[in-house]
Amino acid sequence: MTRLRLWLALPVLSMRLAVTVVLVVAASATAQAHPHVWVTMTTDLVYDASGAATGLRQVWTFDDMYSAFATTGIKAKINGQFTRDELEPLAKINVDSLKDYDYFTYATIDGKRNKKAFADPVDYWLTYDPKATVLTLHFTLPFRRPVKAKVLKIEIYDPEFFVDFEFADKNAIKLEDAPQQCAAWTDKPADQNFLPQQQSLNKSFVPSEAFIGMGMDFANKILVQCP
Amino acid sequence: MKRIGNGRYIRHIVTAGAVLVLTLLAGGHTVQAQFGAFGGPRPAAVGGVASWILAEQATFYRTLANSLRLAKRDGSALWGLIGISFVYGIFHAAGPGHGKAVISSYLIANEETWRRGVVLSFASAVMQSITAITIVSVAAVLLGATAKLMGDTVRIVEIVSYGLIVALGARLLWVKGRGFLGALHEFKNQSAHAGERHAHALGDHRPDGCCHPAHVHHHHVSGRDPHGSGANCHGEELDVLPWGHAHGPEPQQLAGPGGWRRGLSAVVAVGLRPCSGAIIVLVFALAQGLFWAGIASTFVMGLGTAITVGSIATLAVGAKTVAKQLAGRPVGYGGVLVRGVELGAAALVLAFGILLLTGYMASERMGLF
Repeated sequence: MTRLRLWLALPVLSMRLAVTVVLVVAASATAQAHPHVWVTMTTDLVYDASGAATGLRQVWTFDDMYSAFATTGIKAKINGQFTRDELEPLAKINVDSLKDYDYFTYATIDGKRNKKAFADPVDYWLTYDPKATVLTLHFTLPFRRPVKAKVLKIEIYDPEFFVDFEFADKNAIKLEDAPQQCAAWTDKPADQNFLPQQQSLNKSFVPSEAFIGMGMDFANKILVQCP
Repeated sequence: MKRIGNGRYIRHIVTAGAVLVLTLLAGGHTVQAQFGAFGGPRPAAVGGVASWILAEQATFYRTLANSLRLAKRDGSALWGLIGISFVYGIFHAAGPGHGKAVISSYLIANEETWRRGVVLSFASAVMQSITAITIVSVAAVLLGATAKLMGDTVRIVEIVSYGLIVALGARLLWVKGRGFLGALHEFKNQSAHAGERHAHALGDHRPDGCCHPAHVHHHHVSGRDPHGSGANCHGEELDVLPWGHAHGPEPQQLAGPGGWRRGLSAVVAVGLRPCSGAIIVLVFALAQGLFWAGIASTFVMGLGTAITVGSIATLAVGAKTVAKQLAGRPVGYGGVLVRGVELGAAALVLAFGILLLTGYMASERMGLF
């Protein structure tokens, strides 16, 4: 009898122990990375004559620590000053690598997230500010097809949060040649304490999927509404 | 059967508490969280301790950069740099890529003591610091290499490191699989000869028959066994930490503690991959003309990291000790249970290696570019 109970208890106990061990290890395994790169950005939305959005002109300024890292080993004629030409190879590497990350830029057109909204950047270059010792990446990210939408949402963020994007204090977004009635505004992430936060925006502008996914908490949103 | 009594419930509560604390401490995200590839939605953020740790890390990292900037003009800022590096290391180790998972699983899979756990944690943290310093010294200082080249180098080192973890896991799985089968076999035998079943003491039993029942009977389940779990078989290994002892690789050695080579393999597998933060900080220090300050900062950071990893490793060893006590009697189903847990932990090491190698379990990114 005892023997039988023993056999019966075995699987339950094993399971319990296994679960304990897995939990302990998994918990210690999987904490999240914190940002190592900081980007301050401005974004211009460019429109064509028909009133469709053709692309985003993005300007990303990196923090000085990452700028120092990125410029290591790059030869400059004047020490500590890099010209656009000298930075040309790095700009190419940047833009090529960014492709793997979807340029950290995600478009939601009239409530539908479009994964293939953007084509490869058409022009790009790097500048260096020797005083602030920071690099700035300029690139234009064209829509694959010009977008005419009532509500266009652009989100710029790194889902892994290795890169921390934030809007510039001034002129963070600009509409270029957009139809008169279009309005745009930004919504910053709740990055003070990294806690998820309900969006304070008018609900009609926020598609239902907006609350899914943690990266969203760190997302910088640009919303453009056209009639 | 009498061992599975009331005390079990208290222990369950203790275990559950330990697990809870660890989960909070370590970030609360499950492996699944790392599967959120770019563009894909991720599980909701976890509040509380996890986000606090994340926020603290980011703050310290930025403060670290600031103190390097300051140190360029004011040498006294260097003391601040050292202090901040230390605290940053403690917090930062809670993030991915510092071998907590691999080291903890490794310790659980093997009959390791917490002391060895701590030594392994420190050794791997020191090794991580050394790789970071070596890569930046050779690539940036000597060769004048670009960030891309450095990133590619780290990438290769990373792949080798993950490959080693896979190899380590595969070997553990093989050894522990045999141990498990052995225990299972023993259990069946023992069921047949039920009268002999009190012959072995908890943790001292070896399925391979290394321990002679005659000299195993002391040190019962006290949990304060001065030799740590199961160390009796190789009396001479008792106080030998990873570096000390190198006798030939006997088959039974693979099943128990000791064997600095195995410890070393875990240290290398985990410590080979440098921490991205350390590399960026080193290069930044180099750019400020303060490379040596960067080196000092990296080592102190490693010390902080070791404290966190060592604590988690100690908790893992503690959890196993509790598990063993829960399992009750050392032979028979208790033995099967403990070997089963070890087998599971071995499988985890392998799984971590494969997930890391295939990119499903995110480690820290080297950089954007």
